[in-house]
Amino acid sequence: MSRSFAEFRRRTISSIMFALCAGGASLIIAILLLVIGYLVWIGVSSLSWDFLTTVPTGDVANPGGMRHAIDGTIILVALASAIGVPIGVLAGIYLAEYPGEHVATGPLRFLADVLTGVPSIVVGILGYELVVVPVSRWTHGSVSFSGYAGAAALAFIMIPIVARTTEEMLRLVPRSYREGSLALGATRAQTIFRVVLPGAFGGVATGIMLAMGRIAGETAPLLFTALGSRLLTHNPAEPFPSLTLQIYTYATGPYPEQKRLAWAGILVLLAMLFVVNLSIRIVASRHARMRMGA
Amino acid sequence: MTPTSAASPPAHASGWSREPTQSPRSKSEAGVIRRARIGDAVLGWACRLSAALIALMLVSLIAVLVHSAWPAMREFGVGFLISSEWRANEIERPVRDAAGQLMLRDGEAVMEILPPAFGALPVIWGTAVSSFLALVIAVPISLSAAVFLVRVAPRLRIAGAASFLIEFLAAVPSLAFGVWALFVLAPLFQKYVGPWLHRIFEPIPGLRWMFYESVTVAGRTIERPIPLTGRDLFTGSLILAIMILPIVTSVSRDVLRAVPRTQIEGTLALGATWWQSCVAMLRYGRSGLLGAIMLGLARAAGETMAVTMVIGNNNQISPSPFAPAQTMASLLANEFAEATEGLHRASLLYVALILLTMSLMFNVVARRLVVGRIASSGSH
Repeated sequence: MSRSFAEFRRRTISSIMFALCAGGASLIIAILLLVIGYLVWIGVSSLSWDFLTTVPTGDVANPGGMRHAIDGTIILVALASAIGVPIGVLAGIYLAEYPGEHVATGPLRFLADVLTGVPSIVVGILGYELVVVPVSRWTHGSVSFSGYAGAAALAFIMIPIVARTTEEMLRLVPRSYREGSLALGATRAQTIFRVVLPGAFGGVATGIMLAMGRIAGETAPLLFTALGSRLLTHNPAEPFPSLTLQIYTYATGPYPEQKRLAWAGILVLLAMLFVVNLSIRIVASRHARMRMGA
Repeated sequence: MTPTSAASPPAHASGWSREPTQSPRSKSEAGVIRRARIGDAVLGWACRLSAALIALMLVSLIAVLVHSAWPAMREFGVGFLISSEWRANEIERPVRDAAGQLMLRDGEAVMEILPPAFGALPVIWGTAVSSFLALVIAVPISLSAAVFLVRVAPRLRIAGAASFLIEFLAAVPSLAFGVWALFVLAPLFQKYVGPWLHRIFEPIPGLRWMFYESVTVAGRTIERPIPLTGRDLFTGSLILAIMILPIVTSVSRDVLRAVPRTQIEGTLALGATWWQSCVAMLRYGRSGLLGAIMLGLARAAGETMAVTMVIGNNNQISPSPFAPAQTMASLLANEFAEATEGLHRASLLYVALILLTMSLMFNVVARRLVVGRIASSGSH
């Protein structure tokens, strides 16, 4: 009697816990759908052609669009990538392809991991202290907050991510490829650029796009570096607009019309990130197919 | 064997040489080798420099913060961590005597001027409590979802789709959660959830501190209900919990997936129920799971935008989760731009240094726990 009760008890507990686990997974997905669904729902109703093509008017009842901020985000991400991608990829190559120098690569790998955990607001403050203040001093205040400073802060976030993903992807290339290339008389540089990097291209490109998606959504590093602007500017030496900064300003401000623009801005940001995520999947799957064929 | 092939240079040179074979061999060969050496050296040093830059980035980060925070460190020392006053500007207030009466002189209240004061305890408290509450909410959900993803989802063929959704949740920027929390969650709490919790918990003895605060007005201490704004520690913790769900879930999933099959099959063979074998699996991966939780903690502690938008931004310690609060990150986001006065800015940088040290420590420990676990089991 008591034995069958114990059996019943443990089976019941198991069923209850199973239901709870299924509930946990469903809850996460429900939250995702709730958040994204709400953002898309309100965003779509606030989105218009003018939003994408016009700049702020200064009139709170009829605030115009966010063309300047969309351009700003694209330029900031491009500038940050121009700094961050070459450095990140080269550092990743060093971590993966110079195993003879493991005295240096071990600690550097650890430091790169540590850097990915730096809070983004701290990166913004570093950008202010290290770029904005000295540049302002050198130019006697004619250049202070600027797109360059914002791009530098974003590159700071990008470099360790790109370095670590590049390293991981290069490690997936079989050792025999390198040995074959070296045995044919290719130099180390030729081996890396003509054999190893092409072999890992899809993975490296995925890592780069992942990092670009991450920095496109960053706000905190830009608060004290790019500062934001209501003007359409393509000159990174000026205070520079970004989608995230403009959304933050509008969302925390008092005017309902601007809040509607913030919703629309979030939708545009999410759409940009979705396009990036989609291209990642396309690149990754094409890469997988190529490797299957090879 | 033909004479030409015998005369051709060694394979490694001929492969890349554009020179005709008739030209003086030793010269072209030397040129090729020199160019190859230069190419290798250039690449090697470019890689070394880029990698060294990573070290330089971390060093400059710490050096700049310490240098700029130095005035505050010298002024306040370690006491900064336990001082609870944060006043950016000096304030003027009437002096009161021991009985709480205004002191008058010539019919005017005697005024005293309080100098600016800076202490980090309110923001340390805010960060600690909001991160802790976020973990309390997120960890059970994440762990149960991870168990589901590893033990159930593959059989239902939804593991890929569910994982993709959770990874997409991780890619949504902090700002989007902030806007959602500010416009949806905060009003919901102010109008419905807050009053409802108030009704339920207020009659319970010992929980009065959650809804009432003591304030000193004109020398008398009175108790008044905390106004429900929806922008308080509780809302902040909830949005933090939502934001750390994906990372805790996906890392725990990787940890659990690395548990050897034989461990699970062994328990099932001994007659364990589904849940009992899950407990064995969780126990086997416990240090990795601890790492996943610490990664979530690091993320929660450093999170800025969403928290800034809903936590209420009040530099005071209140025991109630329904009072507005401030975290280190939100303090920096709010005040750094306006901090022109030297000590104020140095104090903010001191806070940034504390925040950096804390999240680096969490990250290092967490990575050690997770990486050690997944790598040692070797199935990935």
